[in-house]
Amino acid sequence: MWSLTICALVLLVPLVLIRVHSTPSSSKISGGTKATTQVRKLAVFLGSGGHTSEMLAMISSLDFDKYYPRIYIISEGDTLSERKASALEATKTANSGSISKHADAYTFLVIPRARKVHQSLLTTPSTALLSLMHCFYHVTLASTYHRKTFADVLLLNGPGTCLTLCLAVYLNKFLGLPSPRTVYIESFARVRTLSLSGKLLRSLVDRFIVQWPQLLEDGKRGECRGWLI
Amino acid sequence: MRALITVGSTRFDELIQAVFSSSVLTSLSNKGYTTIVVQCGDSTFPYDYLLAHGERAFKLEKEGVLIECWRFKPSLQTEYEQANLVISHAGSGTIIDVLRMDKALIVVPNPTLLDNHQEELASELEKLGHLRSSTTSSLAATIQEFNPSSLTKFPPFDGSKFRNLLDEEMGFI
Repeated sequence: MWSLTICALVLLVPLVLIRVHSTPSSSKISGGTKATTQVRKLAVFLGSGGHTSEMLAMISSLDFDKYYPRIYIISEGDTLSERKASALEATKTANSGSISKHADAYTFLVIPRARKVHQSLLTTPSTALLSLMHCFYHVTLASTYHRKTFADVLLLNGPGTCLTLCLAVYLNKFLGLPSPRTVYIESFARVRTLSLSGKLLRSLVDRFIVQWPQLLEDGKRGECRGWLI
Repeated sequence: MRALITVGSTRFDELIQAVFSSSVLTSLSNKGYTTIVVQCGDSTFPYDYLLAHGERAFKLEKEGVLIECWRFKPSLQTEYEQANLVISHAGSGTIIDVLRMDKALIVVPNPTLLDNHQEELASELEKLGHLRSSTTSSLAATIQEFNPSSLTKFPPFDGSKFRNLLDEEMGFI
């Protein structure tokens, strides 16, 4: 049973990547009409350490009454990111309107890491596959069952587990299921070279944002809006 | 004066070992940093046996410097506030936290992390005058010649850039 599942996934992943080249970027959700009162469901991947700090700093500037509900995706064992996200939510709730005070305004989703810090790149494929299966379950199967998208937008800033989340989103697109817009923001720490996640995801995400202009000198896709943190 | 040494959420054996060396401690003492707090993370170093068997922290005195050492705390906010100098790994989170508090900062990039990415940020921010960057082997010398008043203030957080980016993407503006 497991080996069949693994075989199916191993076959599906290349198919997804082939389909990527013929999948046009999905049009913006508003379809030309400016959203005034609607909310957007926000999913945020917290990659631990500096990735979490940067991501929480960026989303702290959002109006939480517009981005609701919120899902914080964290790697197994990363209780520090969970605490930091909870602390941000408490600060925002103290300052904002009634929607954010709702009990289910935010939730946490835990997935296994694709690669641990200092883990050899040789052993990474097997841990990445396990991570992908979890993402597939939450992003693809859950949205099929609930008949709505996992989120309207998924924010990513590394590290490796981002790739498995993105692949799950692409599986959704490949299968014609509702999918979030994906926005990748390269870390402030990356000045001259992209991170491994950045290099791998550059052509897969809807928006690829960098914080230092040198990173776009190669002429490939991406936007620089300066320091976002 | 007080110095804080931090390695962030993982480990940095070389830096902690250098911090406990006589040359670095002598430099710190010469510059007036007679109390230091060392957040050592999961690092391995000659005195780590003092943190075995459930001991959360230890104190010792060496080269005229009083050293307090522990592995992790949920927040370093108080330690940053109390420090006159911060010496840290070149993790972007720590760098931003410390520079936004207008504290003097010396960073030591950790060369063991994937493709030595910490060095890029450290050298770019040093060029902009916001901090000093050092290797573990030149740390004693860097501390000796470091002049905190020569640093340039780091710009404050501007949340509007990201907010506008996402609001545009989501059709709010």
